[in-house]
Amino acid sequence: MAETLAIMERAYRGALEKQFFDALYLAVELHRQLGGMDLLLRGPAVSYAVAVAHVGSIEVGGRKVDTLSDPRRDLIRLQESGVAVWVEESDLAEFGVDGPAALLPGVRAAAPGEMARRWPDYRTVCFL
Amino acid sequence: MGRTIPPTDVLITLMGAPHADDTTTSAVRLVQAMLRQGARVQVWTCGYATMLTQRALGESKPRNLADWSVDYPSTTALVAELLNAFPDSLFWYGCRFCSDDRGAGEHLPGVVLRAPAKYADNVAAAGKTLLLGVI
Repeated sequence: MAETLAIMERAYRGALEKQFFDALYLAVELHRQLGGMDLLLRGPAVSYAVAVAHVGSIEVGGRKVDTLSDPRRDLIRLQESGVAVWVEESDLAEFGVDGPAALLPGVRAAAPGEMARRWPDYRTVCFL
Repeated sequence: MGRTIPPTDVLITLMGAPHADDTTTSAVRLVQAMLRQGARVQVWTCGYATMLTQRALGESKPRNLADWSVDYPSTTALVAELLNAFPDSLFWYGCRFCSDDRGAGEHLPGVVLRAPAKYADNVAAAGKTLLLGVI
């Protein structure tokens, strides 16, 4: 079992200036160094796990910038590293996500309070 | 005698800190769109937004260990792209006090640092002023 539960509630924090170097990039290292991680997405961060969402490119001056933050790609990378990704189910409807079927494969929905009851099972609980 | 501020259609006052939300992304997209349509634009950065144009950031962000060969432009490089693409219609200013207060060192050559007491001159030179974010 993972020793760390990471909770992400805030989303969309600097796509242009952060690009790849966002909190989910940090999560890869925390997962590696802290004995495994489960990740719970809450609030607007639940939209990170929507399967069909697409990150496009933007034009800046004469340059095409196609390296904006891509949280779905990061979540898939985390899953491939062994991170279990959860979303708080009640937040899906609130942020316009059409239920768990709209999520990336392998992302699990948690009932409100379900993950909070598991806090004692983890050595570390942190917010990303 | 003080600097004369070239007249612009719009002044974007970027107060919101980078890395906290998508204000910087939105501001850059807005500036690009207005310039593309032929508008004259000035940007005044305040607070942590003054750190966007530091020369110490270099051309690129640090390497991505997961995608080693990909180049990720720094914000300094992106502002330079804007200034190079629109040399006669984009003007980039920064608040000297905010920059000094945060230890932001040298800026891009095209960035003009100004005392906060001079901000009203920039507002007067713009047809409209938009303030984005809070300091």
